[in-house]
Amino acid sequence: MPRASKGVLVECDPSIKAIILKIDQDNHDYIVEDLDDQTLVIKETQLARLKVRLSEELANTQQMPEESGSD
Amino acid sequence: MSTSSLRSFEYLEGLPGTTFNRLYKQPSTALAIFRRMLPHLAKSFVMALLYISRPMPVTDLEAWVRPDGRLERDNAIDLLERLHILTATTKPGKPRAYTLTNPFAASLRLALTGGGTHKSFGVPSNISDDDHITIPELDEFARRQWEGVLGYMVGSTGIDLANNGVELSPGVQHLLKQGGLVETRGRRVEITQDGFAFILQEVNAQVWTMLILYLQNAEALNMDEVDVLSFLFTLGSLELGLPYSKANLTPTQSQMLLDLGDFGIIHQTTPTSSHFHPTRLATTLTSDSNGLRSSSLASSSDTTKGGFIVIETNYRIYAYTSSTLQIAILQLFTRLITRYPNMVAGKITRESIRRAVSMGITSDQIISYLTTHAHPQMLKKQPILPATVVDQIRLWQLEGDRMKATPGYLFKDFNTQGDFEGLCRYAEEIGVLVWKSEGQRKFFVTRHEQVAAYLRNQARRG
Repeated sequence: MPRASKGVLVECDPSIKAIILKIDQDNHDYIVEDLDDQTLVIKETQLARLKVRLSEELANTQQMPEESGSD
Repeated sequence: MSTSSLRSFEYLEGLPGTTFNRLYKQPSTALAIFRRMLPHLAKSFVMALLYISRPMPVTDLEAWVRPDGRLERDNAIDLLERLHILTATTKPGKPRAYTLTNPFAASLRLALTGGGTHKSFGVPSNISDDDHITIPELDEFARRQWEGVLGYMVGSTGIDLANNGVELSPGVQHLLKQGGLVETRGRRVEITQDGFAFILQEVNAQVWTMLILYLQNAEALNMDEVDVLSFLFTLGSLELGLPYSKANLTPTQSQMLLDLGDFGIIHQTTPTSSHFHPTRLATTLTSDSNGLRSSSLASSSDTTKGGFIVIETNYRIYAYTSSTLQIAILQLFTRLITRYPNMVAGKITRESIRRAVSMGITSDQIISYLTTHAHPQMLKKQPILPATVVDQIRLWQLEGDRMKATPGYLFKDFNTQGDFEGLCRYAEEIGVLVWKSEGQRKFFVTRHEQVAAYLRNQARRG
């Protein structure tokens, strides 16, 4: 008999997925199921926190181009 | 079907069957549900079954629909069952058969053919002419109140909206906070992600969202949910511009009149007067016709000409409006630079879009807002908005939004490939499948009820 489990399907680039895996590594409290290199299922309650953590990680690794001040 | 009725659906489906039973006792409720919430096929089923006293065998009903319409048929029947309008009965020795539930059927018959003393469509009141309120006055009142609510929500963006003269009652403020549309930090009111999505919706959807919040809050106020809901459906069947008597209302409903007045959904001269007028916000609740749509989101001077926004390929934006509400909404996703008496000028920047996205506004919402409010000069062009600007807004959103999240259910652990394929195909047909993997025998769906029901039926048939 098949089973169903609740969660949030996350689709992203492999590079982003690598970061998510890294975030999950500490406590294993985000990921429900690792599906393939662009898809995974995470806990619904953790989505907001994961987004915050992800943007923190990205802010550390990426350089944003400066906004031109001319108007 | 519009988003507003979808919202009300979700809420209704969550109610227990006994609540439905009491709701459907009111002919106006039965008619409103029938009129507004059912797709055409479901309507046909209801009409066909309405005057048939004996249950209709499932196979007979299914024979009305062409084989290629199976998907629509399943959806219609599923919806009718979820709304407790249709039930399937099985008696020993007889095939499975459908009947309409009572009191829904009885109420709908009463609503369609008239009769009875249920008074559920409101009781018009006879009043002297000097008490009479014209339709433009009602529209103006509704617009002022509703813009007051919206203005309160976007007030936090830094523009002073205090001069529009609407003081929000503590009840409404509490409701907005309760519903998670705004948050208060100290004395400041801050709009939330849900609040932004709310602001950009069309008015009818906004009204429904607000009323559902009100319903969810009703029990805390010692109000009977069924009373509240059936009154809302009654309001939807009233006629604009006519006064209605308050004499036959329950205490809950009289209390509601006060609160609905705050939203501009109904108008009464004083809280103690013997009658009330429904406004356009009320009378369009359960119909498809446009409510205050253009008038609410555009200030009165703009309505005649259509939109007021001009946007150039260099991301500069000019908005011919003096409405503070409009300006505050624009401010959510543009950098406003100059304000003239009848116009504001600004620019869409990466920063302003990123800020909007981080607050929960999507690029599609922004684009659709700009399109609906485009200036007539812009409307002459095809496409209406410059393609570069549209693409760039989308790209700016993607930059910040690196993953696509879809809540739902993962199905796994199938015994055979056949089991997997059958269920997966069904999920795809009813349009809930988001992702599947043949190799892993797993798939992901947005809703599981219908899929689970299919699975149970399969198991029963062996």
